Amino acid sequence: MKSEQEHSFVKQLQENQNIIHKICRLYTEDEDAHKDLFQEITIQLWNAYPKFRGDSKFSTWAYRVALNTAITLYRKTKRSIATVGYEGNSHFIPEVNYNYEEEEQLKLLYKAVYQLNDIEKALIFMYLEDKDYTEIAETLGITEVNARVKMNRIKGKLKKILNP
Amino acid sequence: MNMKELDLLKKDWQKNEGSFEQLSEKDIYAMIHKKSSSIVKWILIVSILEFFILNGIGLLLPDDSTNLSEKENLYLNVLTFFSYGITIYFVFLFFKNYKAISIISSTKELAESILKTRKTVKYYIGYNIIYTITMIISFVIYTIFTDVKANNNFSNHAIFTILLITFISIILAIIIWMFYQLLYGFLLKKLKRNYEELRKIDL
Repeated sequence: MKSEQEHSFVKQLQENQNIIHKICRLYTEDEDAHKDLFQEITIQLWNAYPKFRGDSKFSTWAYRVALNTAITLYRKTKRSIATVGYEGNSHFIPEVNYNYEEEEQLKLLYKAVYQLNDIEKALIFMYLEDKDYTEIAETLGITEVNARVKMNRIKGKLKKILNP
Repeated sequence: MNMKELDLLKKDWQKNEGSFEQLSEKDIYAMIHKKSSSIVKWILIVSILEFFILNGIGLLLPDDSTNLSEKENLYLNVLTFFSYGITIYFVFLFFKNYKAISIISSTKELAESILKTRKTVKYYIGYNIIYTITMIISFVIYTIFTDVKANNNFSNHAIFTILLITFISIILAIIIWMFYQLLYGFLLKKLKRNYEELRKIDL
């Protein structure tokens, strides 16, 4: 029997699943690992669901649990982080329909993001998701000022990867 | 990096919402009934095994207390009583820290609480190693004492025995320690690295 709680959880997760997909794409390098991490995040969300009181949005709450799972709880570590070629991570390349120049630029950008460490990825992820620095700082447990400083450093790092 | 490039990335990132293979509600139902394989779960399993194994060894050892005098027996009983007390304290501390792990705290707090839980077990293992070495040394001293009392001198044989036992217990302690470094190293490597990275940001 599916309980009321199960039903509302599954419904909300189904609607918000892209949040988790995006995190999985960022933190894994193949389809199997993507599915594996997605499942672990789903289990963690479900376990924490009784404590979700609805005073924040489901999506905000899910961001935090999903990022925490990817950064701290998930056991399977990537085999070789920086050395894996971009071409090898085909699941990471989204469909791009820009002109050739932009397409090349985007490929390089995604490749650069992929080379960042777990924490830097989390910051870039929240930046791309239009989160403000208050939320970024709260999620990671760092101060807002330092979140900004770190973000600028990451931008610098990306620039360096793009123009060596 | 100029803003143009990052804006391009952002635009593309947000545009790609629909590029994921969507899971059905049925898929998600199946997922929530699967077992977690998170490091927290592994730490719990390993820790429970440790408590059982460390305390099980003592129960399996042959009971030769009949050879001891009443005074020695009392001393042994008091010692056992205290060591059980310490074990219970550690188990309590472990579950208290384990319960405090919350997935909805900030990433840094979450990492801290996991490392704290793991530390409880680390101290318990350390305590057990020290306890065992102390017991071995006490046994050695006791043996020598009886030896000297019986033969009225300190034999080469006794010295050799002391050195051998000390050497073996040190080697044993090192092996146990390395095993744990390996086991927890495997489980916690990524967590530690990310925790350090977060800590560095606020320095």
